[in-house]
Amino acid sequence: VTDLEISRAWLVDPASDREGPGDVVVRDGVLEAVTWLDGADADDITADGVVVAPGFIDLHAHLREPGNEDAETVASGLAAAAHGGFTTVCAMANTTPALDEPGVLDRVRGAAVASGSPVELLAYGAVTAARNGETLSALGELADAGVIGFSDDGAPVRSASILRNALAYAGALGLPIVDHPEDPTLTDGAEANDGFVATVLGLHGWPVAAEEAAIGRDLAILADVVRDVPGARLHLTHVSTAAGLDLVRRAQAAGLPVTCDVTPHHLALTEEWVAGARRFAWDAGGGDPWGDGAIVAEPFDPALRVNPPLRCPEDALACLAALADGTAAAIATDHAPHTEVDKAVEFGLAANGISGIETALGLVLAAVDAGRLPLLRAIAALTSGPVAIIGSRTRRSAAGAGLTEGAPADLVVFDRSAAWTVSAEALCSKGKNSPLLGMTLPGRVLLTLAAGRTAYEDASDA
Amino acid sequence: MSAVIDQTAATTVVVPSVDVAPEEQPVGWRHRHLLDVDGLSVADLDLVMRTADAMREVLARPIAKVPALRGRSVTILFYEASTRTRVSFEVAAKNLSADVVNIAAATSSVTKGESLVDTIRTVEALGAQMLVMRHGVSGAPYLAAEVFGGAVLNGGDGWHAHPTQALLDLYTMRSRLGRAGSFGVEGRKVVILGDILHSRVARSNIWSLTTAGADLWLCGPPTLVRGFEAWAGRGAAAGRRFTVTSDVDAALRDADVVMALRIQRERMASGLLPSLREYAARYGLTRERLARARPDALVMHPGPMNEGVEIAPDVAAGSQSVITDQVTNGVAIRMALLYLLAGVHGPGASPA
Repeated sequence: VTDLEISRAWLVDPASDREGPGDVVVRDGVLEAVTWLDGADADDITADGVVVAPGFIDLHAHLREPGNEDAETVASGLAAAAHGGFTTVCAMANTTPALDEPGVLDRVRGAAVASGSPVELLAYGAVTAARNGETLSALGELADAGVIGFSDDGAPVRSASILRNALAYAGALGLPIVDHPEDPTLTDGAEANDGFVATVLGLHGWPVAAEEAAIGRDLAILADVVRDVPGARLHLTHVSTAAGLDLVRRAQAAGLPVTCDVTPHHLALTEEWVAGARRFAWDAGGGDPWGDGAIVAEPFDPALRVNPPLRCPEDALACLAALADGTAAAIATDHAPHTEVDKAVEFGLAANGISGIETALGLVLAAVDAGRLPLLRAIAALTSGPVAIIGSRTRRSAAGAGLTEGAPADLVVFDRSAAWTVSAEALCSKGKNSPLLGMTLPGRVLLTLAAGRTAYEDASDA
Repeated sequence: MSAVIDQTAATTVVVPSVDVAPEEQPVGWRHRHLLDVDGLSVADLDLVMRTADAMREVLARPIAKVPALRGRSVTILFYEASTRTRVSFEVAAKNLSADVVNIAAATSSVTKGESLVDTIRTVEALGAQMLVMRHGVSGAPYLAAEVFGGAVLNGGDGWHAHPTQALLDLYTMRSRLGRAGSFGVEGRKVVILGDILHSRVARSNIWSLTTAGADLWLCGPPTLVRGFEAWAGRGAAAGRRFTVTSDVDAALRDADVVMALRIQRERMASGLLPSLREYAARYGLTRERLARARPDALVMHPGPMNEGVEIAPDVAAGSQSVITDQVTNGVAIRMALLYLLAGVHGPGASPA
């Protein structure tokens, strides 16, 4: 239980659509007072220094427990989340065994309690038993046990018929289906985005059309299901392409109950990184990294192998545009820790995924610093956006994931004027598979409070 | 790493004396490894060509052997079946008096699940100073170079690169077309015909031939040249030009060099081609089709050939064919590269 006073900071509160200078008082773990300053009191307080925001909510993380505790545990994953400013984490169901019945959920929750972390752990159930794509998992029992939705993430729901049934069944339970949109017949053996870099490096191409075709299929099925089950909802996770986001945008305009998220790495990094470039999407400009001197590192870094793959700069900019116009309601990390054994191998044999929950804020702030995303909108995509998708199953819903007086303190304090260097030692996650190792990111997290308790506190003398 | 094409540096090359060990003289080579062709400048290519000239002179001696790499250990680690490249490296290393260890992955611990990193560390602990590697996954030699203390020579990785093949191809063209002080291909129309998409030979030749100033054409069925038009577009903006087409007649018209690539049967299974028969009829290098090229056009093939599919037997064995020259030149080129890489020491060398 914590007492805390933060004076003269920049407050960002998407729940009230407001940002500006202010003071925050936490007493006995409760957010007692939020005071907005104006006039002379607000002099010299800018958005470029210390920022106080509601704790972040990650709609998509892999905590690997049970089954792959050498890659991550619930305890290490929650510690990493707190370091990244997240106070609510939604764990994916692709554990071993898969989270396809309430017993596995009990184990995951037990591990969270045992960790002592105040970070809120929520979980998805699998759509299909053992994530095999063939028969439905125990959807009703899982809903009763408290899952926040259903996902076979890591793989799409392969059968259109199963997806149709799952959307209807889950819709009646009031829960969304979270689909990983990928047409697997277009991505067999795929290694990197089907584009310029894959052509030059001789990597098996991963076409944009694989995502676009899957989204088109999912939306057609959703439109069919909602006619009978008005509560059916579809959430598309880690949408990575301009074409895919455009389909979502049009479906939303037509009134379909579809939402989506984008990841920090898809909005900031591009396929060029696989070639050895290390510039952000907004600095790439669609050039030839071999011809314009952008290549500064060795090619084929396995830390860059991820599903969906890093796309071209235009797709990354489309992810930012989708956040700006609300098509994408959330930024989700797709935190995917892996062991060195699974990553220190040939690029094409490396496990897919980036350990990203601790670098998410830095990448998002890099986009904000570059003028590609307003700060308020960025924080909304990490707080009020995801809470609207989860609904009442998070303890944060009453306060709308905002800076709400009287609610338990769930907040993050970070300093935009302080950078930090990503290193294996600096990451709390057991997964050191970050392509950002050695790079400096903006926005050092100073303090994370979850449910009124300290989840992370910066140990340096900042 | 730079792709800047430096046309002026070609005349300043000092050719080493290959009877002397490489570390005992300045050889002008700065790359620690040979992983790709993308980082090789005009001066680098010229040095390789001239060093290969010296090696060919060695090969013409009654005893085709020099002591330049005596006491050096060269390990040849092949994860894919190969006859000509593996044997060519072995002969090259032995001609330089190196000690040679051959490892075929099918007979090693790799079949017991040993990782590439562990294999490389083991090979190094067993004394390897230079590593020649062939691997089915694009980029694998970069992983090897990260952990191996000596020089890594890429003997072909996935679809990505086959640097020694591209260099022996350039050397073969230079030998037949070259005038003193040139690569012989400057302004000449060089056509690579076949499965470009899956070809490490084609990718490496794109870098070397565009650097050397050839008028390069890539030709194949639409499913097997996919993506290369986009590369050509970006490359042109950066000063590296080539043409991509599925029109075989346009490609072959007045060509100076025609290189056919192997078509693999797997391409039918994955639906990229209807049949080998149809490929042969539409894209096979027949005598009739070759007649569209210049009368003295060179016919090349990196091997192994599917005669009657991508190349007709009478063309492969015809008077314009330099396919056996490619094999002979391969030994000289690999001797040159082993020699040049053996001469690189110290931290000042830039990775390639």
